[in-house]
Amino acid sequence: MKLITKLLRRHFFEILAVCLIAGSLFFFKETLDYLARRDYIAALLVMVIGVAVISVGKEMARLALVQRD
Amino acid sequence: MGAREVHSGAVAELVVTARKWRTFADVVAFTLGVNVWVSIVILPAAFVGAMRGSMIVAALVPFAVLVLGLARRSEIILLGLFPSALLLPISLQPQLASSYVYGPIRFLLVGLGVIAYLFGVSFFTTFHEPPAPRSIRPLSSAQQGPPERWRRRERVYWILTAMSLVIPTVLITWVNFDQSVADFLGEMYPGRVALMTTALTAGAIVLWLAIYHYAFLGALRPHRTGDRDLVGVLAQARADAKAGKPRSRFYLAVGVALSAMLLLILLRHL
Repeated sequence: MKLITKLLRRHFFEILAVCLIAGSLFFFKETLDYLARRDYIAALLVMVIGVAVISVGKEMARLALVQRD
Repeated sequence: MGAREVHSGAVAELVVTARKWRTFADVVAFTLGVNVWVSIVILPAAFVGAMRGSMIVAALVPFAVLVLGLARRSEIILLGLFPSALLLPISLQPQLASSYVYGPIRFLLVGLGVIAYLFGVSFFTTFHEPPAPRSIRPLSSAQQGPPERWRRRERVYWILTAMSLVIPTVLITWVNFDQSVADFLGEMYPGRVALMTTALTAGAIVLWLAIYHYAFLGALRPHRTGDRDLVGVLAQARADAKAGKPRSRFYLAVGVALSAMLLLILLRHL
């Protein structure tokens, strides 16, 4: 039971990490769109969101790796 | 034959081999360096008719730096200062690096020339052929092939080498040959497209150097120090993560993302 919980937890962290890292690309694409519209403040804010989301994804990937050990 | 004669014979052979290698490395570096200099500075300058006045002096500076690097056999000069000196005449005449001078085929050839120069100099100036051994005794461990960790490390080196070629090539090609970039520059900076394209190319090179320094050299540094630092960092990371909780930077990133989203909503709708 403990093993199954650990396995599920690991896959949950892995899927979450992939979703967050892939999802951060959306924010970077939005950054480019805002830059094309010359809305520099919005572009900067969305870029900060993208970097923050990718950091959260990285932490999730780290936790998934620990579950693997 | 006495022991002293054998020893002096081996030393003489070593000296001759080293001298041959140095001469070979110098010839390779000079040939490839001149090729880079001619294809990046001289031919474009002749093509746009810029070879006059101070431009002649600026065009000769990279060649002088190349000769100085060869005379001193300095890797810093050959791999750092010479490529940087090539930017001097381009900074005076930005149209030397414009996409009107470089078609895709010519860009490919010049790129191959630059890669050949960098590889040639970095390889031949550091590689020295050892003298032929007098006898060979195979070790039993040699029959098993290289261990998995060395094969893994070699794969990492090959990936890094491939990425070192792909990333700058894609960046510079995109800046110079993507029609949407050219259209955008033409609209934003009419009459200064060549200057802005060159500035963007320089920006792409700077971006690549930053990526290389922080991402690539950062990954290679633990290998260079025998993995000792990496093992320490991993042990610390494992100990931190054993707690099963994310680190404080996780909460910080969530807070920053939420604050930025809130600020964006306020800016857009209030």
